[in-house]
Amino acid sequence: PHSPSPCILADSREISSGPEVISCLRAVHGLRVQICSLGTSDYMVSSRLAVDRLLQSELQSPGNRNKLSQRLQRLRSVFERICVIVETDRVRPGETSRLFQRTQYYDGVLSALVQAGIRILFSSCQEETAALLKDLALLEHRKDAAIQVPTEPEGHQRELLNFYLSIPSLSYGAALNLCHSFSSITAVANSSVPALAAGARLSRPQAEELHRFLHHDFDLQLLPQPLPKGKS
Amino acid sequence: PVTAGSIVVPYGHVIGNEKWRGSEVAQRLQGKVRLIFEDGLGLVDFHLPNRTCILLISEADLVAGDEFKRRLVRFRNASSLRGIVIVEKTQISDQYYSGVQKLAVLELGMVLLPVANQGEASQLIIQLVSSCVREQSRDRGSRPFLGKQRAPAAEPALLRAVQRIPGLGRAKALLLLRRFGSIHRLCNAALAELEPVVGQAVAQQIHAF
Repeated sequence: PHSPSPCILADSREISSGPEVISCLRAVHGLRVQICSLGTSDYMVSSRLAVDRLLQSELQSPGNRNKLSQRLQRLRSVFERICVIVETDRVRPGETSRLFQRTQYYDGVLSALVQAGIRILFSSCQEETAALLKDLALLEHRKDAAIQVPTEPEGHQRELLNFYLSIPSLSYGAALNLCHSFSSITAVANSSVPALAAGARLSRPQAEELHRFLHHDFDLQLLPQPLPKGKS
Repeated sequence: PVTAGSIVVPYGHVIGNEKWRGSEVAQRLQGKVRLIFEDGLGLVDFHLPNRTCILLISEADLVAGDEFKRRLVRFRNASSLRGIVIVEKTQISDQYYSGVQKLAVLELGMVLLPVANQGEASQLIIQLVSSCVREQSRDRGSRPFLGKQRAPAAEPALLRAVQRIPGLGRAKALLLLRRFGSIHRLCNAALAELEPVVGQAVAQQIHAF
């Protein structure tokens, strides 16, 4: 079943941190927004494009450097394309708008993002962020990369999805595509790299990594000792 | 008028369009980077090392109309170099920003960075140049978003994955992985091979999954 309008996946944390983004996407732009625990990124607007929403103040404070860097590295290991939307901080009621003091550190972060090939958009508020997400989704839709599989699997499909989601380096979108394109895990496990790339809509290196994982020979010695508990 | 420019810019240098000589942005760049002026750069305002071009759009350009849009499109069509558009986003030009962003970033695939004035533009250019230098120096610590995380061992992830199969806890997942090795071989195991490891009921569950 192909969806008429593009679908956007939103991370469940965004319900509290970006409620107006989500309601705008639905009410103003009429998009399907599926809330799920994406974990790595705030939004997925297509099978390959992850979008992270960052507040300008987060890019301003050197204290965030490590957190930001780890987050973006993780995104880069899972997604082919990354975009960050830098959103102006909201002025709280009773607070006068603080002047944005541009620092050398901030310019350094922007330069590093440019250098890393991460696309950057600037937004002045949550409503504008929603409009940008819609534009990105439509653009990816035109490029035939839109998320067009059912985003709410049930029953056995749900269990399969949970299995695929536990595979490192696989995004939520790729896991959904695996559920949709292959009849079983065995079918996935017996697929060639090109078949995995086509079925899960992965890039060649990503498909190679998945293939390696499925064929990886388990070595008990490489399991961290002592064994971590309850991490299923 | 368009120099798609195979200009080689040495590291730490910036080649500026003659028209910026004596401007605030040029004055502030001087002393921080080696700025050389050249005629005939066409659409480009500054050439940075690493095949990067800066196109500077002033507040006045934005307010004046669509000329700057033609300039961006012409640059994009003529050049394979990376184009970074720096735009003066002020109270007056703010209303035009989202239109410029749509064109430059979404349609043309260029980089667009807003600044408040020429002073901020020069600060940003200095950072862009030094990030080119760092890129060249191959110092991992200074390339915060490019460094690849060291791939962790696949074993813990394999164990987690197998435990997602209904009916399997940690102990049985371990037994299965030790017996069959990979997910590929586990998937292709016959019921009769699974049964001695986890018992009949669980073996059937795995097989059905």
